[in-house]
Amino acid sequence: MGRLFVVNLEGKIYSCKHCKTHLGLCEDIVSKSFHSRHGKAYLFNKVVNVFVGKKEERLMMTGMHTVADIFCVGCGSIVGWKYETAHEKSQKYKEGKSVLERFKVSGPDGSNYWASHEAHVGGSDADDV
Amino acid sequence: MGGVEDETEPATKRMKLSSGVLRSLANGSSGAGSVPGFSGDLMARPLPIEGDEEILGSKGVIRRVELVRIITKALYSLGYEKSGAHLEEESGIPLHSSVVNLLIQQVLGGQWDEGVATLKKIGLDENIVKSASFLILEQKFLEFLDQDKVMDALKTLRTEITPLSINNARVRELSSSILSPAKFVHVGSSSQSSTRAKSRSKLLEELQMLLPPTVLIPDRRLEHLVEQALILQRDACMFHNSEDKEMSLYKDHQCGRDQIPSRTLQVLQVHNDEVWFLQFSHNGKYLASSSTDRTAIIWEVDPHGELSLKHKLCGHQKPVSSVSWSPDDSQLLTCGVEENVRRWDVSSGKCLSVYEKAGNGFVSCRWFPDGKWMCFGANDKSICMWDLEGKELECWKGQRTLRISDLEVTSDGKQIISICRETAILLLNREAKVERLIEEDQTITSFSLSQDNRYLLVNLLNEEIHLWDIQGEVKLVAKYKGHKRSRFVIRSCFGGLEQAFIASGSEDSQVYIWHRGSGELIEALPGHSGAVNCVAWNPTNSHMLASASDDRTIRIWGLNDLKMKHKGPATHCNGVHYCNGRT
Repeated sequence: MGRLFVVNLEGKIYSCKHCKTHLGLCEDIVSKSFHSRHGKAYLFNKVVNVFVGKKEERLMMTGMHTVADIFCVGCGSIVGWKYETAHEKSQKYKEGKSVLERFKVSGPDGSNYWASHEAHVGGSDADDV
Repeated sequence: MGGVEDETEPATKRMKLSSGVLRSLANGSSGAGSVPGFSGDLMARPLPIEGDEEILGSKGVIRRVELVRIITKALYSLGYEKSGAHLEEESGIPLHSSVVNLLIQQVLGGQWDEGVATLKKIGLDENIVKSASFLILEQKFLEFLDQDKVMDALKTLRTEITPLSINNARVRELSSSILSPAKFVHVGSSSQSSTRAKSRSKLLEELQMLLPPTVLIPDRRLEHLVEQALILQRDACMFHNSEDKEMSLYKDHQCGRDQIPSRTLQVLQVHNDEVWFLQFSHNGKYLASSSTDRTAIIWEVDPHGELSLKHKLCGHQKPVSSVSWSPDDSQLLTCGVEENVRRWDVSSGKCLSVYEKAGNGFVSCRWFPDGKWMCFGANDKSICMWDLEGKELECWKGQRTLRISDLEVTSDGKQIISICRETAILLLNREAKVERLIEEDQTITSFSLSQDNRYLLVNLLNEEIHLWDIQGEVKLVAKYKGHKRSRFVIRSCFGGLEQAFIASGSEDSQVYIWHRGSGELIEALPGHSGAVNCVAWNPTNSHMLASASDDRTIRIWGLNDLKMKHKGPATHCNGVHYCNGRT
């Protein structure tokens, strides 16, 4: 397993639901209006303690993007995805940013979010702008 | 810069004259012997005009005149006076112009005023003429003092040296020396003539450093060029890793890949869980390893390069994250993950002390070079200095270290180095109370310091290793890529002859080796069956590398052609020696 390299965050923290590894800070959220096939998802400026999977082209509601799944370093579970490149000009702001799926993480108050009727099939990343 | 030429005598006549002058000098008429490396020949065949110079070599960069003059100089330096003179005669290229030869004779003969006058004829920059005149007149002054001619010395100082208006501090020293000569005169009084000659030849050396090389060829110039060529070849050689690898002038230098430790010579299987950290002792006679099994192990390296278990150090309640050897290698510090630090006696394996801080766990440990103090990083992000008795001497609070952080102390004890932010390394000068930062764009996972304290090797989250020069202003020197890292703390190290290589662990179970200078990846060594967490190169054996892995083993790597001499009960497989701690 090796010695995990884990960054410890301070503040209002979103952490992995399974192993409690810190993933992101409330203050780094860019938008809460993203969606995945499991429900809500949040766009973060910066996330920590994740490793990045293979890049692939995905057609999302806002167009074609090059994305890569991101995994928790603590337990290896998939927690969201990272935007490597956005092909449309209006979506360029997402590049380098990451999305955490809300049902995969615990909120700052320890709350969990469960997939509900809000869940979208096919995965979407519609923003609120 | 060729010099003034005004003679039209035939070369042979000039040669006779010069050897006559040399003989008279050698016979002591002026108290100076001939000086090796300085042509005694007053040959005045004009130096070829720059445009006419013949170019030699396939690259068209060697001037024939320069090469011949340098060879001539080398012949004289080696004591081959006749050969040197013969080369000057045959090539028609004098070592020095007649004016420079005259200057040399005047300096050796103590004809100071004439020497100063000759200097002005060479056609040099005014500042150089002034500085060279100062040196000559200083010698004149000192020799006057040596002969108790105080009034002459004073006159020289007042009317000749002072008007040059340079090096006022030295002028003051010289004037003081009139009052107390014993303190300042370097010429000496016993066996005056020989001492004076030595002093004059020293003056010539000083003049040589001052005058342009076109006028007076530097001493041992050919040796220097050849040496430089050999060193450049050695530095360009990707695999150079042996002191005894003879370098020859007869052929270009090239080592083979067989100089890099790339074969597993031993597999050490004693730890019961992942091995996280490794470090060789300064004298290379021991290796310390630490593991998730909550133990550290001291391994002994025998004269044949074979390792055997010396002590298993038990006592930690958490995985042991790192170790640190005392400066004299007699003691070892071990650090549990956010736990305590323990100090062990290497010869007996006994625990000498346990260091704890209420409410805090330690994350790193290092010795100070005096062996009396230690440095600990704590999980409250502070760095503290303790003595052996367990007394905290100093503490640097605030954002000084991270919860997973390395710690280094430079060998002069002045600087403490630690990761202070995700993307920054703190260089804390505890004496000058100055803090410098190395700023990276990516998160830093670990780092290590070179033996000479000049370079820092920084491992980053994005699978890059950066080499920083931390002497003076910090600057990024090189980047190394190729290894794999996604989740774990993977460590790298300097190693090999003159630390010419960089080695690193990797999550793909291989050990990676780069050539430090070029940044080129030269080896990826398979063998482990789990992530390689740490590597360590033996500081006294450039052919011994150790690697620690999640597969619970330590591998000792050596040269491919090495014939290991095994002793005691051990198992063998393809020439690999397995040690399970019972040997």
